[in-house]
Amino acid sequence: MIRRRSTTALGFALGVAAAAAGGATQAEAQTYAIQGGTVHTLAGDSFVGTVVIQGGRIVAVGPDVEPPAGAEIVDAAGKHVYPGMFDAVSGLGLTEIGAVDVTNDAREQGDFNPHLQAATAVHPATEHIPVARANGIAITMAAPQGGSGAIVGQASLIGLDGWTVEEMGIDPGAAMVVNYPSLGGGRGRFGRRGAPPGGWRQRQEQYEEAVARLDEWFDAARRYDQAMKNGAEMRRDLKNEALAKVVNREMPVLLSANGERDVRNAVEWAQRQNIHFAITGAQGAWKIADWLAENDVGVIMSPTQSMPSGPDESYDEAYAAPGKLHAAGVKVAFATFNSSASRTLPYEAAQAVPYGLPHDAALEAVTKNAAEMLGLDDRIGTIEEGKIANIMITDGDPLEIQTQVTDLFILGRGVSLDNKHKSLYEKYRSRPGRRVVSE
Amino acid sequence: MIPRLRPTQLLPRAALTVALAVATLAPPSLNAQPRPTRPEDVRLFAITDARIVTVSGMVIENGTVVVDDGVIRAVGAGVEPPAGAWVIDGSGKTVYPGLFDALTTLGHGSEPAARGGFGFGGGGGNPPDPSSHSWGPEDRPGTSTWLTAADDIEADDDRFESWRNAGFTTVVSTRHEGLVPGQAAVLNLGSFNRPREMVVATPVAMRVNLQDRSRTFTGYPGSPMGVFAYLKQLYYDAKHYDDAWAAYEADPRGKRRPEWDMALEPVRLQFDEGWPALFPATSRSDVGRAIETTREMGVQPVVYGAHGTYAAADLLEDAGISALVDLDWPAPPTDGDPDALPSLDQLRLFDRAPTTPAALAEAGVPFAFYTGGLDQPSQALAAVRRAVAQGLSEDDAVRALTLSPAEIFGVADRLGSVEEGKIANLVVASGSLLDEDARIETVFVDGEMFEAEAADAEADSEDGDAGGDEDAGPRRGRGARGGPGARDAGPDPAAPPVPMSANKGPYRDDPVTLIQGGTVLTASHGTMENTDILVRDGKIAEIGTGLEAPGNATVVDATGKFVTPGIIDAHSHMAALSINEGTVNISSMVTIEDVIRPEDIGMYRALAGGVTTINILHGSANPVGGGNAVIKLRWGADAAGLRIGAHKGIKFALGENTKRDRNPDRYPATRMGVQDVIRQGFMDARDYMEEWEAYEAGGRQGVAPRRDLKLEALMEILNGERWVHSHSYRADEILQLLRLAEEFGFRVRTLQHVLEGYKVADEIAAHGAGASTFSDWWAYKVEAYDAIPHNAALMTERGVLVSINSDSGEEVRHLNQEAAKAMKWGGLDEEQALRLVTLNSAIQFGIDDRTGSIDEGKDADLAIWEGHPLSMFGKAVQTYVDGKLYFDIDMDRERQAAVEAEKDALVAKHLGDNR
Repeated sequence: MIRRRSTTALGFALGVAAAAAGGATQAEAQTYAIQGGTVHTLAGDSFVGTVVIQGGRIVAVGPDVEPPAGAEIVDAAGKHVYPGMFDAVSGLGLTEIGAVDVTNDAREQGDFNPHLQAATAVHPATEHIPVARANGIAITMAAPQGGSGAIVGQASLIGLDGWTVEEMGIDPGAAMVVNYPSLGGGRGRFGRRGAPPGGWRQRQEQYEEAVARLDEWFDAARRYDQAMKNGAEMRRDLKNEALAKVVNREMPVLLSANGERDVRNAVEWAQRQNIHFAITGAQGAWKIADWLAENDVGVIMSPTQSMPSGPDESYDEAYAAPGKLHAAGVKVAFATFNSSASRTLPYEAAQAVPYGLPHDAALEAVTKNAAEMLGLDDRIGTIEEGKIANIMITDGDPLEIQTQVTDLFILGRGVSLDNKHKSLYEKYRSRPGRRVVSE
Repeated sequence: MIPRLRPTQLLPRAALTVALAVATLAPPSLNAQPRPTRPEDVRLFAITDARIVTVSGMVIENGTVVVDDGVIRAVGAGVEPPAGAWVIDGSGKTVYPGLFDALTTLGHGSEPAARGGFGFGGGGGNPPDPSSHSWGPEDRPGTSTWLTAADDIEADDDRFESWRNAGFTTVVSTRHEGLVPGQAAVLNLGSFNRPREMVVATPVAMRVNLQDRSRTFTGYPGSPMGVFAYLKQLYYDAKHYDDAWAAYEADPRGKRRPEWDMALEPVRLQFDEGWPALFPATSRSDVGRAIETTREMGVQPVVYGAHGTYAAADLLEDAGISALVDLDWPAPPTDGDPDALPSLDQLRLFDRAPTTPAALAEAGVPFAFYTGGLDQPSQALAAVRRAVAQGLSEDDAVRALTLSPAEIFGVADRLGSVEEGKIANLVVASGSLLDEDARIETVFVDGEMFEAEAADAEADSEDGDAGGDEDAGPRRGRGARGGPGARDAGPDPAAPPVPMSANKGPYRDDPVTLIQGGTVLTASHGTMENTDILVRDGKIAEIGTGLEAPGNATVVDATGKFVTPGIIDAHSHMAALSINEGTVNISSMVTIEDVIRPEDIGMYRALAGGVTTINILHGSANPVGGGNAVIKLRWGADAAGLRIGAHKGIKFALGENTKRDRNPDRYPATRMGVQDVIRQGFMDARDYMEEWEAYEAGGRQGVAPRRDLKLEALMEILNGERWVHSHSYRADEILQLLRLAEEFGFRVRTLQHVLEGYKVADEIAAHGAGASTFSDWWAYKVEAYDAIPHNAALMTERGVLVSINSDSGEEVRHLNQEAAKAMKWGGLDEEQALRLVTLNSAIQFGIDDRTGSIDEGKDADLAIWEGHPLSMFGKAVQTYVDGKLYFDIDMDRERQAAVEAEKDALVAKHLGDNR
């Protein structure tokens, strides 16, 4: 897997970058020392010790680290310190109320919008972000949505804190979302949901056309890029410019495919295109786990708590799939692909544990695995010196429902765990008894 | 289109006498019309030296049949051809009764193909035509009971001739449009240019459809559930109409004359004469629904379709129901995706449908064949041969084409066998009809002789494989991915049936089970460590430590495991054919009870999540929905065996789902209107109740009031027999419903979803309603924007009886986790949390006397977990319903392997190895 350049292409005023440059806000300048907790770095063995955060980064980690002078001491004694969780694909900031179209900014018209960036539309004041945060979700890839066969646009890597999206941003163009065209068959056209309409041959033709369209776009981007590099005088084309990063392997692709056949086809296509990618969805991927492992393909799984893909599949197909993939050597990550349900990310991972995914692998799958797949692991995913300080403190296993997140640091800032839900709870919990004036 | 009478090699030695014989012997037909184009016919025939399959009696190896003026004058070995008869040399030939196609639309247009699913949309698809939009049963949607297939026969329907050429002398013809398209008639396929002469008997049945394939109306009923309710109401109306007229006619003086109703008149006649309702049924559960529905309709059904009734022969036999079996055996569709396989249930239907006739014969169920979906009637005999290959005797096969349909339709006194005195409908074949190379040579209809013309070559090529399986190439996805050199083994659908694996039913059904040493979360009286549970005859017999295992006990070691009551889902939409009857704003006449779908694999999957009982609710499309069904997950049982006799309930709904835009517009569009609809409904129900009370008070004198299923259900709410379970979100609408219920003097039993219930928890508690909510769903619509995961805990804290439900086929599989979320958000303790998905739900549905907690005397509905059930890492390993083991995580693997092996064998047989 290649490493991406860690600078962003655009001059996106990142919180972290700004902090490093000294133009930090007050919160960013804060230095914290998290002390006394069991630190699960996910980069080695756990230990009881200290994590020091400064300027948005983790600057020291270890059992015997001394807090720097002036650091705010965070007492984590008896608690656990983990990397903040990474919801690898979500709609956070893009969708407020599912049923109300005008509150949705995830889906643009047209099938080929590689130049669009989710960050442009991320609503920093969405109620969903604080709700997700309260359960330890620290960062996410906010992703646009589109139809089958679409080059949807760029997913933006954001930290779930900031007054503006600039303060939240890590990388507005962190990955390109491409929905690989589906041949159907994953659920079977005999299944209740069925495959795309039309006969099999018609579907084959449509599929081949859709793949040809994708190839045309990618070829065009290559030609454009070559021409630009050769200094050709031509009008700037935003779409080609964006896709050029993909064909140059500077930007990874979140390549959506679900059924076994679609996943295989998507992988073969991506290899042919020589792009850097991870498969998202991947419902039927477990059936070709060994092949995926041989091909070093990582998968970002659709929700584990899902029904089996067909009426005769084993009841636990989706529960057991991550474990089977992991056992075969496939790197697995989880994502919610949702905004209101982002807080349930740890449960999607935990659901796979009693059905065969080792506990540690489940934890890695909600913290660092997607970062590694997408070449972001130089900045996020673990508690290591130099990484962006996304850290959560819990009173127990973060994969367990009853565990509470007690503190959360995002981009080095201690963030509030209050949200709409908590305030409504407190407000109505303190409602006095009924006050009805009797007749 | 003139019937042909041509000289052939069969034609007689005594041809010269023919003209005379006709002139002297033929009496004028009763309804004779001038027949300007028709030459005078021979009316006296003798078929000699033939093998005669009489069907009603013995086969006569070398006999003569005399046909005289349309009837069989004599049959026998020693019968001499009468003088003047046109003698046909039948040596080497076989004579059969004319074939009888038990269900067609001949003369009345072709029926459109079935759409996928039920195709209901209540306004979806074609733009609604206001004149054909139905707002309730009063609009008599898709009903034309007064039409009879004997009238308005389309003489130019060219199917008549092709049917006759295939040996069919008689058909039952029906109109097909709508839900109750009209009366069936028995037609002879003789001189079809003189349609009135074709009619043998009418009416012989009333046809019922469960789907309006021709889309004769939009609106109500818009779901299978609505169709059943409609059929019942129509027949209740007819019964009432019958009573009203009978009373009036007995003594009209001083009485108001009942209104004449053309839709109900024929049903009166049906009641009087007892002809059956032709009712579609493919599967065992369809048969169950046909039986239950027609029982309420007050008519006897004859089921048609019947492909899956190999599994329902016992039901049909018990209820004395006949079946019409469609000869168009189901087969995998053409143009198939090589990677998309039919489901096990579909494959089994492909495999077993041709075994249905043998199974029905074995069980003693009368059955007849019909050409159904076959492209050509000439394919019928090949299709029958497939049934014979699957175990049907040739005698039974011939009977199902001749005498059995005549018996089923009450015309066996005149049709169906080669017997003296019966109508002279005969088939002369070159050999045994069921031989592959047999040819139908001559057909007699009403004593008139027709030379059978061979069907065209194309149709003939279908012979030997009625389902058209020779066309299986594209079906297997030719041109699709297939390894080089892969050999095509080809399908072999005529091979013997593939043995069915036991994929349903309990894994074990032990009289006594001892579950030893588990940590028992009782849900009623705390958690008990290292505790034994003795289960006897489906009940929890004893709970304690160190219990002795009775000699006959199966001992289950639960050491290190956890035992909880079986989970109860208070809000489910699985295991039903349909969920919403949203065409009308009050659909209280419908009920999920009518459409329970015991085949839903979702039930087994819920068992694998420790669930034992679910409450299936109508959807939320209208302010007053339909009845619910509380069932136990006795996977493999029929609908009747799933029901547990819980208190009747009904779904109400408030808010966004009820008031959104519809086409055509449907009142209400605001929460004001929602409230108004409900209030008006109850006002009507009050009037209705008073009407009935007056009738009862008057000693039930005179004609009873008209039974109205819609108002009856609302009346049951008012008198406490039916509980309201209302979908609700916003605090204000919740409050308004509570107040409205108080106005009418009843208590809302549960508020469903009730996502803002925490805002009015005191009011809910004071009213006495239960609340059933989600754990943490929110923001999917505006009214869910203030939902909080603390809702369950907060309402509990304020004294509301709270449950957590799934409303989802997936969520139901981990309701234990959903309950645990109320510990995280709001701090309920372990038992409070567990009760949210067990005891509290049981109380809400009035079944807590038998399930919902682990207490002696209750049903042994239990789940055993590896890992704590209120942890993410808890996993159900065994689930018991009534003490029977319905889920076992190890035995599940064996069952799954057996299912996969069976599927592989079915796929190889029906699609070939190289799909």
